[in-house]
Amino acid sequence: MSALTLKVAHLYPELLNLYGDSGNILVLNKRMGWRNIQPQVEEVHVDDTPSFADVDIAFVGGGSDREQRIVCERLLREKAELRSFVEDGGVLLAVCGGYQLLGSSYTMGDETVEGLGLVDLYTDRGTPRLIGNVAVESRISPQPIVGYENHGGRTHLGPGVEPLGKVVFGHGNDGESGEEGCLYKNVVGTYVHGPLLPKNPGVADYVISRALERKYGEANLMRLEDHVELEANRVMYRRLIDGEERE
Amino acid sequence: MGPRTSIARAAGGLTSWGLRRVLHRSASQLPGRVALALDPRITAELAGKLREGSIVVCGTNGKTTTTNVLANSLEAAGKTVLCNRAGANMAAGIAAAMLPGSGADWAVMEADELSTIHVLPALRPRYLILLNLFRDQLDRAGEIEHVQDTIVEALAASPETCLVACGDDPLSMGVAVRAAEAGTRVLSFGIDEDLRLPADRVPEARFCQVCGAELDYAYRQYAQLGAFSCPNGDFSRPVLDWRATGVRVGRDGVSFDVGGAGIDAPQRLSAGFGGAYMVYNLLAAFVGAHLAGVGAASFQRALDGYSPENGRLQHFRVGGREVVLNLAKNPTGFNQNISLMEADERPKAAFFVINDDYNDGKDISWIWDVDFERLAADRGLTIVAGGHRANDVQVRLKYAGITSDIASSVGEALGRLGSVDSSRPLYVLTNYSALWPAKAELERMGERL
Ligand SMILES: [Zn+2]
Repeated sequence: MSALTLKVAHLYPELLNLYGDSGNILVLNKRMGWRNIQPQVEEVHVDDTPSFADVDIAFVGGGSDREQRIVCERLLREKAELRSFVEDGGVLLAVCGGYQLLGSSYTMGDETVEGLGLVDLYTDRGTPRLIGNVAVESRISPQPIVGYENHGGRTHLGPGVEPLGKVVFGHGNDGESGEEGCLYKNVVGTYVHGPLLPKNPGVADYVISRALERKYGEANLMRLEDHVELEANRVMYRRLIDGEERE
Repeated sequence: MGPRTSIARAAGGLTSWGLRRVLHRSASQLPGRVALALDPRITAELAGKLREGSIVVCGTNGKTTTTNVLANSLEAAGKTVLCNRAGANMAAGIAAAMLPGSGADWAVMEADELSTIHVLPALRPRYLILLNLFRDQLDRAGEIEHVQDTIVEALAASPETCLVACGDDPLSMGVAVRAAEAGTRVLSFGIDEDLRLPADRVPEARFCQVCGAELDYAYRQYAQLGAFSCPNGDFSRPVLDWRATGVRVGRDGVSFDVGGAGIDAPQRLSAGFGGAYMVYNLLAAFVGAHLAGVGAASFQRALDGYSPENGRLQHFRVGGREVVLNLAKNPTGFNQNISLMEADERPKAAFFVINDDYNDGKDISWIWDVDFERLAADRGLTIVAGGHRANDVQVRLKYAGITSDIASSVGEALGRLGSVDSSRPLYVLTNYSALWPAKAELERMGERL
C-alpha cells in the first residue's frame, strides 16, 4: 500500500500561539506518524500567499487582540479561497481567537470587525471574561472534551449551526446557552484553547479521519495505545465533575 | 508621621508579632493588609522616612534573586535596607516589608508587574529595574500588552523614577520607549556579545514594538533576548549604558566583566550559581548597587556570601544522590532549566512538578511551549512527572518522545530511581506552589550542599 499523506497548514504560528497552540500540530503530526500516515506540516506566515488547493487540514490558533487583527486582515484577502476550501469539505480546526474569526463579525474593544464568514455565527463581547477549566460532551469524541477557556467574546450560533457539544463544566460559547463551539461540514471551532488535542485524542482522530475520508474516500484509523492521554483526560474530568474545581 | 499612620503601623506590627509568635506563620502578607486597611497611604508615609530612597525590581523571571542580591550588596556596603526577601511582592507584602520603618537607608522591593501601578506611586522609588517580560500565568496577568501598559502607567504616576531596563529584551524596551516619550528617564543594561547558547524555540515576542515587523537579530541569547533591530529602523536594542562581556557560564556558576557609565575599568564579577539567565539578574543587581553608590568590591563580597534561597537553584544530598531544586514557572524559565541540565554532562534524572493552584495560574497550557524535545535525545535520562497536573506533564513528555512515570512526592520520585546509579543527579523542577513542599521534603530527607 502506498503511504497516505495529509497536508496540514498551520496558519500564522508566529502570531497565533497565545496558549501553547503548537501542541495541536505536534499531536496531529505524531498521531499520523504512528499510523504511517505521512504528515506534511506547512507553516503559513504573514507574508505568504497561501493556497488551500492541496491542503487537507488547516489549523488556526489564538492570539492577542493586536495579533488577531493582523491575522484577520490578512485572511480576509483569502476569504473566497477559504470559503471554497470549507464548502468542499476541507478540515478546519479553529481554537479560541481563531474560532471567533470563523463568523461574520467579532468585537474588538468597542469596534465590530468583519470576520471570515465561513460559518453562520457572530461574536460580541461581554463581561466578565469567561475563564477556567471546561468540559464538553460532543458527538465527535468518545471522551468528554476537557481543556481551558479564556475569552471575553460571546459567540452566538446561527439557526441550524450545530454546536461542538454541550457544556458539562465551565462556560462555553456565551456562558448561557450551555453550548460550546461549532461544527459545520468539516469545520471544528471551539473556545477550548491552546493544547486542545493532547488530552482529547478523540478530537484529534476525528480531524484526521475527516481529512482521510475527504482525500481517500475512507478512513480506517489504526487504534493507538492512548493510556496516558485518556488517563489525563479522565483525571481532569473527574476533578471537574466531583466538584473539586470551583470558579 | 500622622497619627493614623502610627496606629496603622502599630497594628501592622502587632499582627506581625502575633502571627510569628502565636501562629508560627510567615508574617509576610497579613500585617501589610491590616496596615493598608487602616491607612492606605502607609507605604508612602514610610517611604518618606528612608534616608536615601528605594529601588523596585520587577520582571517576569528572576525578581527574587535580583532583589535579594541587590539588598545584600547594599548591606555589604554598610547600608541598612528594608526588603521583601521572601518575595511577597504585591502592595500588601511591600507595605509589610516597610513596617520596620524609620531608620533605614534604603528600601529594595520586588514588585509583581501588575502591582507596580500601586507600588510606584506609593514608594516613589529612585529606580525601577525591569528585568524582562515573558509570557507567564496568563489567566491572572492577562496579555503581555496589558502588563506593559500597566508599567508605563505606573511610571507616569511616579515621574521622578528612573527606569533601568534590560536593553536586550524587546518587550522591556517597548515599555522603555513609551515611558521615555512620556518623560521618564531610561537607562539600559545588557549582554554585549553572542553567548552562543544552544538554540531554543523561536519566541513569540520577536516583533517590533513600534511597527509590528519581525525583528532582525544579530544574535539571540535565549527567548526574545538579544541584539535586535527592526528592519524598518524604528526600534532596536539601545546603546547599552552597562554591558556584560567576557561571559562564562558553567556548571559551577557564572562570571563576567561589567563596564559602562561611571565605571572606569571593567570589573570582573563571579557567582557560584546560575546559568545564562543569572548573568542578566546579577548584571541588573550590580547596576542597581552601582546607582546606589556601592562599589564592585562590596558587590562581589555580597555575591560570595549569597546562597540562593527559597528553593531557587539549591543543591541537596539525599542518600548519596545530588538533588538540584529549581523554580520553573513559565516556558522561558523551564527552557533555561533545560539548558542548565544540558550543560551538566553527567547522566542524570529529572522530576518535573506542575501544579495549577491559583498562584501558579490555573492554566498550564504553556507546558506545550517548553522545549522538552531537547531532552529526548538524552538516552541516559530518566524522567518522572509530578504535581496536580502530573498527567498533563506525562502527555506532554510522551509527545516529546519521552516515557515517564508519575510520582506524588520527591521521595517517591527518588524511589522510582531505585536502580539508577546514585552518581546521577536528580533535577527537581517545579512551578510556584510545588516549590515549598519539595524544598521542605528535601530538607527533611537530606542535607543542603
Ligand atoms: Zn518597526
